[in-house]
Amino acid sequence: MRRLFAPLLAAGLLFSAAAHAEDTLTPLHWQSQGSFGSFDKAAVQRGFLVYQSACASCHSASALHYRDLEALGFSPEQAAGIAASVKLANGAPATLDDTFKPAAVPASAFGGALPPDLSTIESARPHGLDYVYNLLTGYTAAPASVTLLPGRFYNTGYPGQQIAMPQPLKGNDVVYADGTAATLPQEASDVSAFLAWSADPNLDERHEIGVRAVLFLLFLSIIAIATKRKIWRETA
Amino acid sequence: MSTDVKKSWLASRLPCPAKETGNCAPTLERGAPYLARLPALITGAALLLLASGFVLAVYYNPDHGFASIQFIARNVNSGWLIQGFHATGATMLFAAVYLLLFRDIYRRAYTAPGELVWLLRVKLFALLLLVGWLGYALSDGAVAYWSLTDAANAATGLGGAAGVVGRWFFGGPNGAGTLARLEVFHAVLALAVLGTLGAHRCATRALARQAKPKHPVSCHPYYTAQTFAAFAVFALIFAVLMFFAPHYGLNPLNRAAADSLIIPAVLSPPWYLAPVSAVASVFSTTLGSIFGVIAMLAVLAALPWLDRSSPAGKRGLVYRLLMGLLLLDVIGLGWSVSDPACTISGSLTVFFTIWYFFHFLVLTPLVTALEAK
Repeated sequence: MRRLFAPLLAAGLLFSAAAHAEDTLTPLHWQSQGSFGSFDKAAVQRGFLVYQSACASCHSASALHYRDLEALGFSPEQAAGIAASVKLANGAPATLDDTFKPAAVPASAFGGALPPDLSTIESARPHGLDYVYNLLTGYTAAPASVTLLPGRFYNTGYPGQQIAMPQPLKGNDVVYADGTAATLPQEASDVSAFLAWSADPNLDERHEIGVRAVLFLLFLSIIAIATKRKIWRETA
Repeated sequence: MSTDVKKSWLASRLPCPAKETGNCAPTLERGAPYLARLPALITGAALLLLASGFVLAVYYNPDHGFASIQFIARNVNSGWLIQGFHATGATMLFAAVYLLLFRDIYRRAYTAPGELVWLLRVKLFALLLLVGWLGYALSDGAVAYWSLTDAANAATGLGGAAGVVGRWFFGGPNGAGTLARLEVFHAVLALAVLGTLGAHRCATRALARQAKPKHPVSCHPYYTAQTFAAFAVFALIFAVLMFFAPHYGLNPLNRAAADSLIIPAVLSPPWYLAPVSAVASVFSTTLGSIFGVIAMLAVLAALPWLDRSSPAGKRGLVYRLLMGLLLLDVIGLGWSVSDPACTISGSLTVFFTIWYFFHFLVLTPLVTALEAK
């Protein structure tokens, strides 16, 4: 059902005027990595489109509200439109104050492997960005030496290599409004960027305030130490 | 009026704190190092934790501990900043306390007449470990949940008086209501930390009054300038950690919600609890672990009497060498429980624990007695 809303979401992308996204796949990297990293909002918006089309039907992200999308550059009207296109468990359309919750699916539908909540999945895994990317691009045919458990799929990015989730992304699952080619690595990289934002939405603000605070305290420390040395020298 | 006109309005009515006002008299030694300001930094960090903890307590919901911290970080205005102050504040406070204790041991500052100050510092450390663990349990992450479950199950399963205390503290095995109790204990014991800091301040002031400085200087401007510089550098390190490495020394698996059906692969505590957690893990029974932790703190408290040299005795070369080994030993203790992938980490934990007690109970009396001659 959610695939129907993808064009609507795509139309809402703010960065549609921008040219093709810069190549972050060779070598694989994300703008949010590193001490001074910040989110690439175009990538995070594309990641949200993939998330909403491919992940949200089974996974929840209960720490996120639809109103939080405004932080990604969506206008309140666009965020409200996205929310309204999502059906709650009781059939009513979601509002800005609802959390990211999939429609009620019985646990038995997942073969005993309940899809985890994705709000903080990337901070809860070492190297979360790479983890999600490797998992989404890690589906291959099982080697001959491996006997898969019933209902499991072979995935080189998953601990133990046998995962209960069928391959969610195959490439060209969405149409990006900014013209970026929706290859599997691009989609995986974008949804990884979106989940990084979901896990740590304050990263941009934290780094911004951090630079100012550290610079201020650096000069304060130098002045304070110089003052102290001058005062103590006068006792001699 | 018979009131002494020389006394201030307050001093004539409330004499106790008024005694403290005379402390900027020139009784302080010139040339004290910056590290001598650690108690002030510890008090500052504790006050910051109290203020930020107050804000967190207003929003914290013990029925949904993890979700409510997510709510604070995402939906409360500047909540992530306050939560960061509290989390990084704990790291900075523990770093300062570890440094203070180690510096005291190295300088043998615990010898007479400094025993009471030393005892209060060990008490402060013990209280902080308890408050720190309670705060860690309140984070309600996937790892903290199992630490709390283990502790609550073990404590409620104890027999005799220990079991009575354990059941009273946790109110039974980990379940609905446990975090609500721990939130109260976390806050109340935090106030006990402030009380201990107050007693410590009085004791250090009394010690300073006894000392006869060779080059006395007044508190202001000499010590105020030094304290200000110390605070500036402390805040600088604080800001670097908080804004650019907010999860340094913490187990990343704890940043997922707790699940009563999933035990995380790595169950390591925050770095500041790791050495104590290592000693507790050496013993196979609950009472053994409790005994181990108490013994670990007790040998620290007994240090003024384990040291057999005279108070003015010099630090010999062997003693200083042992200090280096002790530092490596405590770091090793913490590291050995943080890296379960290392196959010999279990044996290393036992070895480091034995060395810790060997250092304090055998080597310290022996070496100080020999070097005092």
